[in-house]
Amino acid sequence: MDFWLSYATLAAIYVLLGLSTNLLVGIAGIFSVSQAAVFGVGAYIVAYLLMNEIMSFLPAMLVASAFCVALNVLITLPALRVSGDYFVVTSFGIQLLATAIFTNWTAGTGGANGLPGIPPADLFGKTLESSGQLVVLCLGAMALGCVAFWLIMRAPFGRLLRAIREDELAVAAAGKNVLRAKVSAAAMAGAFAGSAGGLYATFLSFIDPSSFDLDASILLLTMVVVGGARTLAGSIIGPFLLLALPQILTLIDIPTTIAAAARQLIYGVLLIAFMLFRPQGLAGEKL
Amino acid sequence: MSEYLSATGLEVSFGGLRALQDCSFTVERGRITCLVGPNGAGKTTIFNVITGFLRPDSGTVSFQGTSLDGMKPQAIVAAGIARTFQNLRLFVDLTALDNVIVALPAQTGEEPLAAIFRPLHVAQAQTKRREEAMRVLDHVGLAARAHDHVRNLSYGEQKLLTVARGLATGAELLLLDEPASGLSAAALDQIMALLRRLQSEGKTLLVVEHNTRVVQQIADEVLFLHQGHLMARGTPEQIISDPALADIYFGGAI
Repeated sequence: MDFWLSYATLAAIYVLLGLSTNLLVGIAGIFSVSQAAVFGVGAYIVAYLLMNEIMSFLPAMLVASAFCVALNVLITLPALRVSGDYFVVTSFGIQLLATAIFTNWTAGTGGANGLPGIPPADLFGKTLESSGQLVVLCLGAMALGCVAFWLIMRAPFGRLLRAIREDELAVAAAGKNVLRAKVSAAAMAGAFAGSAGGLYATFLSFIDPSSFDLDASILLLTMVVVGGARTLAGSIIGPFLLLALPQILTLIDIPTTIAAAARQLIYGVLLIAFMLFRPQGLAGEKL
Repeated sequence: MSEYLSATGLEVSFGGLRALQDCSFTVERGRITCLVGPNGAGKTTIFNVITGFLRPDSGTVSFQGTSLDGMKPQAIVAAGIARTFQNLRLFVDLTALDNVIVALPAQTGEEPLAAIFRPLHVAQAQTKRREEAMRVLDHVGLAARAHDHVRNLSYGEQKLLTVARGLATGAELLLLDEPASGLSAAALDQIMALLRRLQSEGKTLLVVEHNTRVVQQIADEVLFLHQGHLMARGTPEQIISDPALADIYFGGAI
Protein backbone atom coordinates (compact mmCIF):
# COMPACT_ATOMS: atom_id res chain seq x y z
CA MET A 1 0.00 0.00 0.00
CA ASP A 2 2.78 2.39 0.92
CA PHE A 3 4.41 1.66 -2.39
CA TRP A 4 1.38 2.85 -4.32
CA LEU A 5 1.12 5.96 -2.19
CA SER A 6 4.71 6.93 -2.74
CA TYR A 7 4.39 6.15 -6.44
CA ALA A 8 1.34 8.42 -6.70
CA THR A 9 3.05 11.15 -4.68
CA LEU A 10 6.15 11.11 -6.81
CA ALA A 11 4.13 10.95 -10.02
CA ALA A 12 2.05 13.93 -8.89
CA ILE A 13 5.24 15.91 -8.33
CA TYR A 14 6.52 14.92 -11.76
CA VAL A 15 3.23 15.94 -13.33
CA LEU A 16 3.97 19.47 -12.10
CA LEU A 17 7.38 19.16 -13.74
CA GLY A 18 5.79 17.76 -16.87
CA LEU A 19 3.47 20.76 -17.00
CA SER A 20 6.45 23.05 -16.56
CA THR A 21 8.41 21.37 -19.34
CA ASN A 22 5.39 21.15 -21.60
CA LEU A 23 4.64 24.84 -21.18
CA LEU A 24 8.18 25.83 -22.04
CA VAL A 25 9.21 23.22 -24.61
CA GLY A 26 5.94 21.97 -26.03
CA ILE A 27 3.88 25.11 -26.11
CA ALA A 28 6.23 28.06 -26.21
CA GLY A 29 8.81 26.15 -28.24
CA ILE A 30 11.68 27.15 -25.97
CA PHE A 31 13.69 23.96 -26.06
CA SER A 32 15.19 23.88 -22.61
CA VAL A 33 17.21 20.96 -21.28
CA SER A 34 17.75 22.65 -17.93
CA GLN A 35 14.36 22.30 -16.27
CA ALA A 36 15.79 19.87 -13.69
CA ALA A 37 18.13 22.64 -12.55
CA VAL A 38 15.18 24.90 -11.74
CA PHE A 39 13.46 21.95 -10.05
CA GLY A 40 16.60 21.49 -7.94
CA VAL A 41 16.83 25.12 -6.93
CA GLY A 42 13.22 24.96 -5.71
CA ALA A 43 14.03 21.82 -3.72
CA TYR A 44 17.17 23.24 -2.13
CA ILE A 45 15.47 26.50 -1.19
CA VAL A 46 12.57 24.79 0.56
CA ALA A 47 14.98 22.37 2.24
CA TYR A 48 17.14 25.22 3.48
CA LEU A 49 14.21 27.30 4.76
CA LEU A 50 12.61 24.37 6.60
CA MET A 51 15.82 22.88 8.03
CA ASN A 52 16.83 26.21 9.47
CA GLU A 53 13.29 26.83 10.69
CA ILE A 54 13.19 30.16 8.93
CA MET A 55 9.57 29.79 7.93
CA SER A 56 6.88 27.17 7.59
CA PHE A 57 6.09 25.09 4.53
CA LEU A 58 3.64 27.29 2.61
CA PRO A 59 5.64 30.52 2.75
CA ALA A 60 8.78 28.51 1.91
CA MET A 61 6.99 27.16 -1.16
CA LEU A 62 6.07 30.69 -2.14
CA VAL A 63 9.65 31.90 -1.73
CA ALA A 64 10.97 28.95 -3.75
CA SER A 65 8.41 29.48 -6.50
CA ALA A 66 9.11 33.19 -6.69
CA PHE A 67 12.82 32.51 -6.86
CA CYS A 68 12.37 29.90 -9.59
CA VAL A 69 10.16 32.26 -11.58
CA ALA A 70 12.98 34.79 -11.60
CA LEU A 71 15.60 32.12 -12.27
CA ASN A 72 13.73 30.54 -15.15
CA VAL A 73 13.11 33.91 -16.76
CA LEU A 74 16.80 34.69 -16.39
CA ILE A 75 18.04 31.42 -17.88
CA THR A 76 15.56 31.43 -20.75
CA LEU A 77 16.46 35.00 -21.66
CA PRO A 78 19.02 33.76 -24.18
CA ALA A 79 16.16 31.89 -25.91
CA LEU A 80 14.35 35.17 -26.33
CA ARG A 81 17.35 36.55 -28.19
CA VAL A 82 18.73 33.59 -30.12
CA SER A 83 16.45 31.10 -31.74
CA GLY A 84 15.89 27.39 -31.26
CA ASP A 85 19.03 25.45 -31.98
CA TYR A 86 21.41 27.80 -30.26
CA PHE A 87 19.38 27.82 -27.12
CA VAL A 88 19.56 24.04 -26.68
CA VAL A 89 23.31 24.39 -26.32
CA THR A 90 22.97 27.34 -23.95
CA SER A 91 20.53 25.53 -21.70
CA PHE A 92 22.73 22.43 -21.78
CA GLY A 93 25.48 24.62 -20.35
CA ILE A 94 23.15 26.03 -17.71
CA GLN A 95 22.23 22.51 -16.62
CA LEU A 96 25.89 21.49 -16.28
CA LEU A 97 26.62 24.68 -14.38
CA ALA A 98 23.74 24.02 -11.99
CA THR A 99 24.89 20.45 -11.35
CA ALA A 100 28.39 21.72 -10.63
CA ILE A 101 27.01 24.19 -8.09
CA PHE A 102 24.72 21.63 -6.45
CA THR A 103 27.66 19.23 -6.14
CA ASN A 104 30.36 21.60 -5.00
CA TRP A 105 28.67 24.25 -2.89
CA THR A 106 28.92 22.09 0.21
CA ALA A 107 27.88 24.80 2.66
CA GLY A 108 24.59 25.45 0.90
CA THR A 109 23.60 22.15 -0.70
CA GLY A 110 25.57 19.60 1.28
CA GLY A 111 27.50 18.85 -1.89
CA ALA A 112 27.46 15.35 -3.30
CA ASN A 113 26.33 13.99 0.06
CA GLY A 114 23.12 15.92 -0.26
CA LEU A 115 20.87 17.30 2.46
CA PRO A 116 19.40 14.69 4.80
CA GLY A 117 16.73 15.26 7.43
CA ILE A 118 14.51 17.76 5.65
CA PRO A 119 11.45 18.30 7.86
CA PRO A 120 8.09 17.14 6.53
CA ALA A 121 5.62 19.59 5.08
CA ASP A 122 3.15 21.32 7.36
CA LEU A 123 -0.12 23.00 6.60
CA PHE A 124 -1.69 25.55 8.94
CA GLY A 125 0.39 24.38 11.91
CA LYS A 126 -0.28 20.68 11.33
CA THR A 127 2.64 18.48 10.30
CA LEU A 128 1.93 16.11 7.44
CA GLU A 129 3.89 13.00 8.27
CA SER A 130 1.92 10.02 7.07
CA SER A 131 2.24 9.01 3.45
CA GLY A 132 -1.53 9.31 3.16
CA GLN A 133 -1.40 12.99 4.06
CA LEU A 134 1.50 13.58 1.71
CA VAL A 135 -0.17 11.99 -1.24
CA VAL A 136 -3.20 14.20 -0.67
CA LEU A 137 -0.96 17.27 -0.52
CA CYS A 138 0.88 16.38 -3.70
CA LEU A 139 -2.18 15.29 -5.63
CA GLY A 140 -3.84 18.53 -4.51
CA ALA A 141 -0.90 20.54 -5.79
CA MET A 142 -1.00 18.55 -9.01
CA ALA A 143 -4.70 19.27 -9.40
CA LEU A 144 -4.10 22.98 -8.89
CA GLY A 145 -1.31 22.88 -11.44
CA CYS A 146 -3.50 21.05 -13.94
CA VAL A 147 -6.34 23.54 -13.54
CA ALA A 148 -3.93 26.44 -13.99
CA PHE A 149 -2.46 24.81 -17.10
CA TRP A 150 -5.90 24.14 -18.53
CA LEU A 151 -7.00 27.72 -17.91
CA ILE A 152 -3.85 29.07 -19.51
CA MET A 153 -4.26 26.88 -22.57
CA ARG A 154 -7.82 27.87 -23.25
CA ALA A 155 -7.17 31.58 -22.70
CA PRO A 156 -5.83 33.96 -25.35
CA PHE A 157 -2.44 33.47 -23.73
CA GLY A 158 -2.40 29.82 -24.78
CA ARG A 159 -3.38 30.70 -28.32
CA LEU A 160 -0.70 33.35 -28.43
CA LEU A 161 1.95 30.86 -27.33
CA ARG A 162 0.86 28.37 -29.96
CA ALA A 163 1.05 31.07 -32.59
CA ILE A 164 4.51 32.08 -31.39
CA ARG A 165 5.72 28.50 -31.65
CA GLU A 166 4.54 28.41 -35.24
CA ASP A 167 5.76 31.77 -36.45
CA GLU A 168 7.20 34.41 -34.18
CA LEU A 169 7.57 36.95 -36.91
CA ALA A 170 3.93 36.70 -37.89
CA VAL A 171 2.92 37.20 -34.26
CA ALA A 172 5.03 40.35 -34.08
CA ALA A 173 3.44 41.49 -37.33
CA ALA A 174 0.05 40.97 -35.71
CA GLY A 175 1.06 43.56 -33.15
CA LYS A 176 1.82 41.27 -30.24
CA ASN A 177 4.70 41.49 -27.82
CA VAL A 178 6.46 38.16 -28.42
CA LEU A 179 9.12 38.80 -25.81
CA ARG A 180 6.61 39.43 -23.05
CA ALA A 181 4.63 36.29 -23.87
CA LYS A 182 7.77 34.17 -23.80
CA VAL A 183 8.89 35.69 -20.51
CA SER A 184 5.45 34.94 -19.06
CA ALA A 185 5.66 31.32 -20.23
CA ALA A 186 9.10 30.95 -18.71
CA ALA A 187 7.82 32.48 -15.47
CA MET A 188 4.89 30.06 -15.26
CA ALA A 189 7.18 27.12 -16.02
CA GLY A 190 9.50 28.34 -13.26
CA ALA A 191 6.67 28.50 -10.75
CA PHE A 192 5.60 24.94 -11.58
CA ALA A 193 9.15 23.57 -11.40
CA GLY A 194 9.93 25.44 -8.18
CA SER A 195 6.88 24.20 -6.33
CA ALA A 196 7.54 20.68 -7.58
CA GLY A 197 11.02 21.01 -6.08
CA GLY A 198 9.64 22.04 -2.72
CA LEU A 199 7.22 19.12 -2.61
CA TYR A 200 9.96 16.74 -3.67
CA ALA A 201 12.32 17.87 -0.90
CA THR A 202 9.73 17.52 1.86
CA PHE A 203 8.40 14.23 0.48
CA LEU A 204 11.78 12.47 0.30
CA SER A 205 13.30 14.36 3.27
CA PHE A 206 16.61 13.86 1.49
CA ILE A 207 17.88 15.49 -1.69
CA ASP A 208 21.17 15.27 -3.54
CA PRO A 209 22.42 16.57 -6.90
CA SER A 210 21.64 13.32 -8.75
CA SER A 211 17.93 14.16 -8.74
CA PHE A 212 18.53 17.42 -10.56
CA ASP A 213 21.15 16.56 -13.16
CA LEU A 214 21.08 16.34 -16.94
CA ASP A 215 19.59 12.83 -16.77
CA ALA A 216 16.68 14.28 -14.82
CA SER A 217 16.18 17.01 -17.42
CA ILE A 218 16.17 14.41 -20.16
CA LEU A 219 13.71 12.31 -18.18
CA LEU A 220 11.39 15.35 -18.11
CA LEU A 221 11.69 15.76 -21.85
CA THR A 222 11.03 12.05 -22.30
CA MET A 223 7.88 12.38 -20.21
CA VAL A 224 6.62 15.17 -22.43
CA VAL A 225 7.50 13.33 -25.62
CA VAL A 226 5.95 10.04 -24.50
CA GLY A 227 2.89 11.61 -22.88
CA GLY A 228 2.36 14.11 -25.64
CA ALA A 229 3.31 17.71 -26.16
CA ARG A 230 0.95 20.63 -25.60
CA THR A 231 -1.87 18.76 -23.93
CA LEU A 232 -2.89 18.43 -20.32
CA ALA A 233 -3.48 14.70 -20.71
CA GLY A 234 -0.01 14.24 -22.14
CA SER A 235 1.56 16.03 -19.18
CA ILE A 236 -0.21 13.64 -16.81
CA ILE A 237 0.22 10.37 -18.68
CA GLY A 238 3.95 10.83 -19.32
CA PRO A 239 5.09 11.07 -15.69
CA PHE A 240 2.75 8.34 -14.42
CA LEU A 241 3.95 5.98 -17.12
CA LEU A 242 7.67 6.65 -16.97
CA LEU A 243 7.80 6.56 -13.18
CA ALA A 244 6.18 3.14 -13.27
CA LEU A 245 9.02 1.92 -15.44
CA PRO A 246 11.58 1.35 -12.63
CA GLN A 247 8.94 -0.65 -10.75
CA ILE A 248 8.18 -2.74 -13.80
CA LEU A 249 11.90 -3.36 -14.18
CA THR A 250 12.04 -4.72 -10.63
CA LEU A 251 9.40 -7.27 -11.59
CA ILE A 252 11.62 -8.53 -14.37
CA ASP A 253 14.51 -10.23 -12.72
CA ILE A 254 17.52 -8.09 -13.56
CA PRO A 255 20.42 -7.42 -11.21
CA THR A 256 20.18 -4.11 -9.35
CA THR A 257 23.64 -3.16 -10.58
CA ILE A 258 22.42 -2.80 -14.14
CA ALA A 259 18.89 -1.62 -13.33
CA ALA A 260 19.84 2.05 -13.47
CA ALA A 261 21.65 1.63 -16.76
CA ALA A 262 18.75 -0.37 -18.18
CA ARG A 263 16.39 2.45 -17.22
CA GLN A 264 18.47 5.05 -19.06
CA LEU A 265 18.64 2.71 -22.02
CA ILE A 266 14.89 2.37 -22.10
CA TYR A 267 14.37 6.13 -21.82
CA GLY A 268 16.70 6.58 -24.77
CA VAL A 269 14.96 3.93 -26.85
CA LEU A 270 11.56 5.45 -25.98
CA LEU A 271 12.68 8.92 -27.05
CA ILE A 272 13.95 7.69 -30.39
CA ALA A 273 10.98 5.41 -31.02
CA PHE A 274 8.41 8.07 -30.23
CA MET A 275 10.16 10.69 -32.31
CA LEU A 276 10.26 8.31 -35.26
CA PHE A 277 6.93 6.57 -35.02
CA ARG A 278 4.65 8.67 -32.87
CA PRO A 279 5.91 12.25 -32.58
CA GLN A 280 2.64 13.36 -31.05
CA GLY A 281 3.15 11.07 -28.03
CA LEU A 282 0.35 9.04 -26.52
CA ALA A 283 -2.06 11.92 -26.05
CA GLY A 284 -0.62 15.02 -27.54
CA GLU A 285 0.48 16.89 -30.58
CA LYS A 286 3.70 16.82 -32.54
CA LEU A 287 6.54 18.44 -30.64
CA MET B 1 -3.79 66.00 -47.51
CA SER B 2 -0.12 65.21 -47.82
CA GLU B 3 2.36 63.16 -45.85
CA TYR B 4 0.12 60.35 -44.69
CA LEU B 5 3.06 58.00 -44.93
CA SER B 6 6.40 59.31 -46.01
CA ALA B 7 9.81 57.74 -46.34
CA THR B 8 12.85 59.91 -46.78
CA GLY B 9 16.35 58.92 -47.82
CA LEU B 10 16.13 55.26 -46.84
CA GLU B 11 19.41 53.35 -47.08
CA VAL B 12 19.67 49.63 -46.38
CA SER B 13 22.66 47.41 -47.15
CA PHE B 14 23.01 43.69 -46.67
CA GLY B 15 26.74 43.20 -46.70
CA GLY B 16 27.83 44.53 -50.08
CA LEU B 17 24.33 44.59 -51.51
CA ARG B 18 22.59 47.94 -51.36
CA ALA B 19 18.94 47.00 -51.10
CA LEU B 20 17.69 50.56 -50.74
CA GLN B 21 19.56 53.62 -51.96
CA ASP B 22 18.31 57.08 -51.10
CA CYS B 23 14.78 55.82 -51.38
CA SER B 24 12.06 58.42 -50.78
CA PHE B 25 8.34 58.28 -51.45
CA THR B 26 4.98 59.18 -50.00
CA VAL B 27 1.68 57.37 -49.77
CA GLU B 28 -1.57 59.29 -49.64
CA ARG B 29 -4.45 58.52 -47.38
CA GLY B 30 -7.36 56.57 -48.76
CA ARG B 31 -5.64 55.49 -51.94
CA ILE B 32 -4.37 52.22 -53.30
CA THR B 33 -0.72 52.65 -54.06
CA CYS B 34 1.07 49.86 -55.90
CA LEU B 35 4.74 49.27 -55.43
CA VAL B 36 6.17 47.71 -58.58
CA GLY B 37 9.60 46.96 -59.93
CA PRO B 38 11.74 44.00 -61.00
CA ASN B 39 12.82 41.32 -58.55
CA GLY B 40 15.36 42.62 -56.08
CA ALA B 41 14.22 46.21 -56.48
CA GLY B 42 13.70 46.46 -52.72
CA LYS B 43 9.93 46.24 -52.44
CA THR B 44 9.80 43.80 -49.56
CA THR B 45 12.71 45.59 -47.91
CA ILE B 46 10.59 48.74 -47.87
CA PHE B 47 7.82 46.79 -46.12
CA ASN B 48 10.30 45.48 -43.58
CA VAL B 49 11.55 48.98 -42.86
CA ILE B 50 8.11 50.56 -42.54
CA THR B 51 6.87 47.83 -40.19
CA GLY B 52 9.92 47.91 -37.95
CA PHE B 53 11.31 44.48 -38.85
CA LEU B 54 14.40 46.05 -40.33
CA ARG B 55 16.21 49.14 -39.15
CA PRO B 56 17.47 51.24 -42.07
CA ASP B 57 21.11 52.32 -42.05
CA SER B 58 19.81 55.83 -42.51
CA GLY B 59 16.66 57.66 -43.49
CA THR B 60 13.34 58.02 -41.75
CA VAL B 61 9.75 56.89 -42.09
CA SER B 62 6.91 58.91 -40.65
CA PHE B 63 3.24 58.10 -40.40
CA GLN B 64 0.64 60.82 -39.92
CA GLY B 65 3.35 63.21 -38.84
CA THR B 66 4.91 60.87 -36.27
CA SER B 67 8.33 59.35 -36.82
CA LEU B 68 8.38 55.55 -36.74
CA ASP B 69 12.15 55.38 -36.36
CA GLY B 70 13.28 52.87 -33.78
CA MET B 71 9.76 51.66 -33.04
CA LYS B 72 9.18 47.94 -32.52
CA PRO B 73 6.82 46.05 -34.87
CA GLN B 74 4.09 45.81 -32.24
CA ALA B 75 4.21 49.56 -31.64
CA ILE B 76 3.91 50.21 -35.35
CA VAL B 77 0.87 47.93 -35.56
CA ALA B 78 -0.62 49.85 -32.65
CA ALA B 79 0.07 53.07 -34.55
CA GLY B 80 -2.12 51.73 -37.35
CA ILE B 81 0.06 49.93 -39.90
CA ALA B 82 -0.27 46.19 -40.53
CA ARG B 83 1.34 43.99 -43.13
CA THR B 84 1.03 40.65 -44.85
CA PHE B 85 3.87 38.46 -46.03
CA GLN B 86 4.62 37.21 -49.49
CA ASN B 87 5.02 33.71 -48.09
CA LEU B 88 1.84 34.16 -46.01
CA ARG B 89 3.26 33.09 -42.62
CA LEU B 90 -0.10 31.88 -41.39
CA PHE B 91 -0.36 29.75 -38.26
CA VAL B 92 -1.07 26.55 -40.16
CA ASP B 93 -1.91 24.42 -37.12
CA LEU B 94 -4.56 26.87 -35.96
CA THR B 95 -8.01 27.39 -37.41
CA ALA B 96 -8.77 30.33 -39.67
CA LEU B 97 -10.73 31.87 -36.81
CA ASP B 98 -7.83 31.51 -34.36
CA ASN B 99 -5.47 33.08 -36.89
CA VAL B 100 -7.68 36.14 -36.87
CA ILE B 101 -8.26 36.17 -33.11
CA VAL B 102 -4.52 36.22 -32.44
CA ALA B 103 -4.29 39.45 -34.42
CA LEU B 104 -7.09 41.28 -32.61
CA PRO B 105 -5.66 44.07 -30.48
CA ALA B 106 -4.83 43.70 -26.75
CA GLN B 107 -6.96 40.96 -25.33
CA THR B 108 -8.06 40.12 -21.81
CA GLY B 109 -6.34 36.91 -20.80
CA GLU B 110 -3.24 37.35 -22.86
CA GLU B 111 -1.44 37.32 -19.53
CA PRO B 112 -1.19 33.98 -17.71
CA LEU B 113 -2.22 35.43 -14.34
CA ALA B 114 -5.41 36.90 -15.73
CA ALA B 115 -6.08 33.56 -17.42
CA ILE B 116 -5.75 31.71 -14.11
CA PHE B 117 -7.35 34.10 -11.67
CA ARG B 118 -10.13 35.65 -13.75
CA PRO B 119 -11.28 32.72 -15.88
CA LEU B 120 -14.91 33.79 -16.15
CA HIS B 121 -14.01 37.30 -17.17
CA VAL B 122 -11.60 35.91 -19.75
CA ALA B 123 -14.20 33.47 -21.10
CA GLN B 124 -16.69 36.30 -21.49
CA ALA B 125 -14.19 38.47 -23.31
CA GLN B 126 -13.31 35.48 -25.50
CA THR B 127 -16.88 35.15 -26.69
CA LYS B 128 -16.83 38.75 -27.78
CA ARG B 129 -13.49 38.30 -29.52
CA ARG B 130 -14.78 35.31 -31.40
CA GLU B 131 -17.70 37.35 -32.70
CA GLU B 132 -15.38 40.14 -33.68
CA ALA B 133 -13.09 37.74 -35.54
CA MET B 134 -16.09 36.18 -37.27
CA ARG B 135 -17.09 39.60 -38.55
CA VAL B 136 -13.61 40.08 -39.99
CA LEU B 137 -13.70 36.65 -41.63
CA ASP B 138 -17.14 37.36 -43.01
CA HIS B 139 -15.82 40.61 -44.41
CA VAL B 140 -13.20 38.85 -46.51
CA GLY B 141 -15.61 36.06 -47.43
CA LEU B 142 -14.17 33.30 -45.26
CA ALA B 143 -16.90 32.94 -42.65
CA ALA B 144 -17.75 29.46 -43.88
CA ARG B 145 -14.17 28.29 -43.36
CA ALA B 146 -13.79 29.76 -39.86
CA HIS B 147 -13.32 26.44 -38.10
CA ASP B 148 -11.12 24.83 -40.71
CA HIS B 149 -7.44 24.48 -40.12
CA VAL B 150 -5.34 26.70 -42.32
CA ARG B 151 -3.67 23.73 -43.95
CA ASN B 152 -7.04 22.73 -45.39
CA LEU B 153 -7.73 26.08 -47.01
CA SER B 154 -7.03 26.70 -50.68
CA TYR B 155 -4.18 29.02 -51.58
CA GLY B 156 -6.63 31.75 -52.50
CA GLU B 157 -8.41 31.38 -49.18
CA GLN B 158 -5.10 31.53 -47.37
CA LYS B 159 -4.31 34.80 -49.12
CA LEU B 160 -7.66 36.21 -48.05
CA LEU B 161 -6.89 35.07 -44.52
CA THR B 162 -3.64 37.04 -44.45
CA VAL B 163 -5.65 40.14 -45.33
CA ALA B 164 -8.17 39.27 -42.61
CA ARG B 165 -5.35 38.98 -40.10
CA GLY B 166 -4.10 42.42 -41.09
CA LEU B 167 -7.60 43.86 -40.82
CA ALA B 168 -8.10 42.30 -37.39
CA THR B 169 -5.31 44.46 -35.96
CA GLY B 170 -7.52 47.47 -36.66
CA ALA B 171 -4.81 49.08 -38.79
CA GLU B 172 -5.90 51.75 -41.26
CA LEU B 173 -2.86 51.36 -43.49
CA LEU B 174 -2.40 47.86 -44.87
CA LEU B 175 0.83 46.77 -46.51
CA LEU B 176 0.06 43.79 -48.72
CA ASP B 177 2.94 41.80 -50.16
CA GLU B 178 1.82 40.26 -53.47
CA PRO B 179 -1.78 39.51 -52.46
CA ALA B 180 -2.64 38.42 -56.02
CA SER B 181 0.33 36.27 -56.97
CA GLY B 182 -0.34 32.65 -57.80
CA LEU B 183 -4.10 33.01 -57.79
CA SER B 184 -6.64 31.60 -60.20
CA ALA B 185 -8.72 34.07 -62.21
CA ALA B 186 -11.70 33.68 -59.89
CA ALA B 187 -9.62 34.15 -56.75
CA LEU B 188 -7.95 37.11 -58.39
CA ASP B 189 -11.27 38.83 -58.99
CA GLN B 190 -12.29 38.10 -55.43
CA ILE B 191 -9.19 39.65 -53.89
CA MET B 192 -9.30 42.70 -56.19
CA ALA B 193 -12.92 43.28 -55.23
CA LEU B 194 -11.92 42.97 -51.58
CA LEU B 195 -9.12 45.52 -51.94
CA ARG B 196 -11.47 48.01 -53.58
CA ARG B 197 -14.04 47.45 -50.88
CA LEU B 198 -11.44 48.07 -48.18
CA GLN B 199 -10.51 51.31 -49.91
CA SER B 200 -14.13 52.43 -50.02
CA GLU B 201 -14.30 51.76 -46.28
CA GLY B 202 -11.48 54.19 -45.66
CA LYS B 203 -8.43 51.95 -45.59
CA THR B 204 -5.23 52.98 -47.27
CA LEU B 205 -3.39 50.23 -49.11
CA LEU B 206 0.22 49.91 -50.16
CA VAL B 207 0.46 46.86 -52.36
CA VAL B 208 3.45 45.07 -53.83
CA GLU B 209 2.23 43.62 -57.10
CA HIS B 210 3.77 42.05 -60.18
CA ASN B 211 0.67 41.48 -62.23
CA THR B 212 0.26 44.55 -64.47
CA ARG B 213 -3.39 43.72 -65.08
CA VAL B 214 -4.02 43.84 -61.34
CA VAL B 215 -2.04 47.05 -61.02
CA GLN B 216 -4.02 48.65 -63.82
CA GLN B 217 -7.29 47.67 -62.22
CA ILE B 218 -6.72 48.63 -58.62
CA ALA B 219 -3.95 51.22 -58.39
CA ASP B 220 -4.63 54.93 -57.94
CA GLU B 221 -0.93 55.50 -58.01
CA VAL B 222 2.11 53.44 -58.88
CA LEU B 223 5.56 53.71 -57.36
CA PHE B 224 8.20 52.24 -59.64
CA LEU B 225 11.21 50.97 -57.78
CA HIS B 226 14.50 50.04 -59.40
CA GLN B 227 17.71 49.02 -57.66
CA GLY B 228 16.49 50.29 -54.33
CA HIS B 229 15.54 53.70 -55.61
CA LEU B 230 12.21 55.30 -56.53
CA MET B 231 12.55 55.68 -60.26
CA ALA B 232 9.14 56.98 -61.20
CA ARG B 233 5.69 57.56 -59.86
CA GLY B 234 2.40 58.16 -61.58
CA THR B 235 -0.88 56.67 -62.61
CA PRO B 236 -0.82 53.06 -63.84
CA GLU B 237 -1.25 54.34 -67.42
CA GLN B 238 1.72 56.66 -67.15
CA ILE B 239 3.96 53.97 -65.71
CA ILE B 240 2.91 51.22 -68.08
CA SER B 241 3.18 53.39 -71.18
CA ASP B 242 6.71 54.51 -70.34
CA PRO B 243 8.95 52.41 -72.61
CA ALA B 244 12.04 52.94 -70.46
CA LEU B 245 10.27 51.49 -67.41
CA ALA B 246 8.79 48.63 -69.39
CA ASP B 247 12.27 47.81 -70.57
CA ILE B 248 13.56 47.62 -66.99
CA TYR B 249 10.56 45.72 -65.83
CA PHE B 250 10.32 43.12 -68.55
CA GLY B 251 14.01 42.53 -69.12
CA GLY B 252 16.16 45.43 -68.13
CA ALA B 253 19.29 43.38 -68.70
CA ILE B 254 18.73 43.06 -72.42
